[in-house]
Amino acid sequence: MKLAHLWGFIVLFNTSCLCRAQLSEYFNERLSIKPLKDGKIASTLTFTTVLKNGTPRDPGLLHTEDESQHYRLFPLALGQILREYGVTEMHLTLNAGKWNYDSWGQPAEAGVGNGAELWAWIGDGALARNALAGLFCSSLGSLDELRTTSPVEVFRPEGSLPSSSLHQLRHASHPSESVCTENLTPFIKLLPCKSSAGLASLLNPHKLFDANWHGMGVHVLWHEGEGVEVRLTFQTVSDPLRSSFIRKQDWSLESLFGRKVEKACRAAGSSHIQVALPRNTPYNISPQPTVAENDEALYDIQAVNKPINVAMQYMQEFQRQDLPSSATLSIQRTLKESSQSHGQLSVILRNHQPNPVQAIYLETMPWIVQFYLHTLTATVNDIPQPSVFSNLSYIPAIPHSRPTTFHVLLSIPANSTLRLTMDVTKAFLRYTEHPPDAQRGWDLPPAIIYPLDQPRMYTPTLLVDLATPDFSMPYNVIIFTCTLVAFIFGSIFNLLTRKFVVVSVALKGRD
Amino acid sequence: MTSSLRAGVVIPTVAALKVAISLSGLPDLLRNDHQLSSPLTSFSQLQEGLYLFKHGIDPYSGGTFRHSPLLLALFSSVLPTSTLFAAVFWALSDAVAAWALVEIWRARQNVSSSTRDGLVALGYLANPYTILPSLALSTSTLENTLLLLAVMFAAQKKAAPSLLSLAFLSHLAPPAILIFPPLALLLLTDPHSHLASPQKLSLNKRRIFPLVLEFLIYAGALTFASTLVAGSWNWIPQTWGTWLTLPDLTPNPGLWWYFFTEMFDHFRPFFLMVFSMHLVIYVAPLCIKFQHDPLFALFILTGVLGIFKAYPTLSDPGLFLSMTAAFPEIFPYLRHPIVTSLLHLHAALLLPLFHHLWLTQGTGNANFFYASTLVFACANGAAVMDSLWAGMRIAIGKNTEDYGIVQE
Repeated sequence: MKLAHLWGFIVLFNTSCLCRAQLSEYFNERLSIKPLKDGKIASTLTFTTVLKNGTPRDPGLLHTEDESQHYRLFPLALGQILREYGVTEMHLTLNAGKWNYDSWGQPAEAGVGNGAELWAWIGDGALARNALAGLFCSSLGSLDELRTTSPVEVFRPEGSLPSSSLHQLRHASHPSESVCTENLTPFIKLLPCKSSAGLASLLNPHKLFDANWHGMGVHVLWHEGEGVEVRLTFQTVSDPLRSSFIRKQDWSLESLFGRKVEKACRAAGSSHIQVALPRNTPYNISPQPTVAENDEALYDIQAVNKPINVAMQYMQEFQRQDLPSSATLSIQRTLKESSQSHGQLSVILRNHQPNPVQAIYLETMPWIVQFYLHTLTATVNDIPQPSVFSNLSYIPAIPHSRPTTFHVLLSIPANSTLRLTMDVTKAFLRYTEHPPDAQRGWDLPPAIIYPLDQPRMYTPTLLVDLATPDFSMPYNVIIFTCTLVAFIFGSIFNLLTRKFVVVSVALKGRD
Repeated sequence: MTSSLRAGVVIPTVAALKVAISLSGLPDLLRNDHQLSSPLTSFSQLQEGLYLFKHGIDPYSGGTFRHSPLLLALFSSVLPTSTLFAAVFWALSDAVAAWALVEIWRARQNVSSSTRDGLVALGYLANPYTILPSLALSTSTLENTLLLLAVMFAAQKKAAPSLLSLAFLSHLAPPAILIFPPLALLLLTDPHSHLASPQKLSLNKRRIFPLVLEFLIYAGALTFASTLVAGSWNWIPQTWGTWLTLPDLTPNPGLWWYFFTEMFDHFRPFFLMVFSMHLVIYVAPLCIKFQHDPLFALFILTGVLGIFKAYPTLSDPGLFLSMTAAFPEIFPYLRHPIVTSLLHLHAALLLPLFHHLWLTQGTGNANFFYASTLVFACANGAAVMDSLWAGMRIAIGKNTEDYGIVQE
């Protein structure tokens, strides 16, 4: 009897411990699907793991022994990197494609610049970058000091920052880095159910990388008093019109991801599919949503019958309409290249709002393209108006190392078009600095437009054509030039050192 | 009197003509031409630096601004930067340079005016290698003017203005410091032509030290003033350092840019050292060989600098070619003037053509332009060797039928 009591006590004690452990971490997953006005479907998978009351490591104490790490849901591989390098906030995105703000509006996750982008509030960034490159099988190692800037006005921390002043912003983007299956596999490994259950089972590389636009993101934030949050996201924009004979916007989980959700992930605290319902057009959604209100249907994966294949069917064919842009601003950025040494950068911003918009325009340009700020001109509706830009801040590039950071505050009048132009010069590189396919040109990172109090927007990337030397000739050039130098040197000293003598030509002739 | 008028007519006429051409819009086409202005002398870069300077951004905190802080101070306070003004200022600078060359010629002949004055002035003003950089508003034109002023004052025995000009010049373009020894010798001897009667220099060597000291004081003062303008010492690696480390590999008609574009990274510092030191080698031998005529040594050294300095523009070899006008006594003894002229013609046609083909048209590659810079260097080398030969050959006298002149 006493023994039974004791057992009961032990069991009770253990379960209470378990409960506390469960409370300290939780995992939520969500899929939101939204039809876009040009007929495409945007879907966003978000996996959030929160380490309750977790705190980031103080970058000042990196040399001391760290506390041991033990997690149930929180990804250990990532956690080790975060603690090793004292990362407080980190955002890594790997995207492929050009996000079309005019037709698709604002993305669910703001970081949609083409290629790789990494920004972090961190003690020292250089090594964390290599660790992340190893973790995600991505060439983040090339995000070196040639591409690293610190534009604090645009990349403010999304979570909280500890009061210690050791945190610095490190931002770098690498537009030629692409995202593919080898990046998705380590991404899936960070999830508690991997891709075997829950919404993560929809992460099917064949379909994801077939989408018109796709991008994955890893976000680490610290919320003071709450804990450390790791948010893994995967956004796609797929085109149902592309594959259907009748022009209908119909979609289903099968058509978007090639899979159904077979079972729920037990580790997930919540697991929802959220569908934005179309307006002004008849449709049929199956199965019956758990909740449907305010143009939104919600499925609770843990409650509904599985396997579940959410499907949307439209009654009518899709009609393309010329709707006004759904973004605050339309952005266009071009580089006109008159020759391989000079060019002109121009940015056109159209404000569709009936009220003026203030926006920060940020360029983080590798040193290979250098600005002539004295040629910076601004026109509003083709009328010169230099007063539209203010708060200009400029950190010039250092050849062969630091990139340019240029940002300026623009005020774009209501319903008007602002055009900024600036002459640029293109650098001539050492032959070892060119990439293997040098004639292809260099991808330039996207510029960022940051309308105040709104998510930032990315311009498309640019390709710049740099003059190339002949890569097969280093020996020949060294030999030719040295020969010429030696020839002139030799001739001059020959003249300077030898004596002039008069010889009889007549005598010579007789010999 | 009529003859001196000729120079007085030629210089203002050509200067006015130049302003007129400048206003026709041609300079906008030339301004960014790599052959007329290097990153260290380009007017666009100067304007960029001025823009940054006026907006409170340190132009020397990185970037590609490599002009002297003194030019910044000059153009941001005293001189306006409008294109019209710049055109006038550059034309004036050319006029002063031509006048200085005429004065050098007069001092060498020891006359107050001569019938060749106008020709000598035209030798500078009508030289396409000096006109085009001037139309492109390259600051290398100002450097040429400073050099000719330094030589002119030295020829007139005015030590202070001469050394100040040279200090200012070597502040803008440090390789010019190499012409200090012949310039000092010129100050201590005379500018007249002694090529025909070489003799050992008898000179109290102690008299050279005050000149060195004076030059160092001027150079130090200019350095200090630059630091005051720039607000820190950052400007030194950005301007002077560029000549030694060659961070900017923009093409130019010289020999360095493609060599260091194609250089293996582990040999780069070694060859940078070799190319920099190579320039120094010529100074002492030329000064010793032409100790009887330091002005001629200076002339040859200008030619050597025009071939081998780090960021040359067409105006550097152009200055050497223009200066030949002040040494007509060597003309009958030039060794192979036809070959040299043809080489120059060849290079003058190839350089702009291949530059255009490579960078604008995209139908040629870098080797085309590189090859034409080699031809150009050959042409300049041939011109230097011609003059050098003639300068020594002149001592032996006229050719006679039965005898030939050879070197042992």
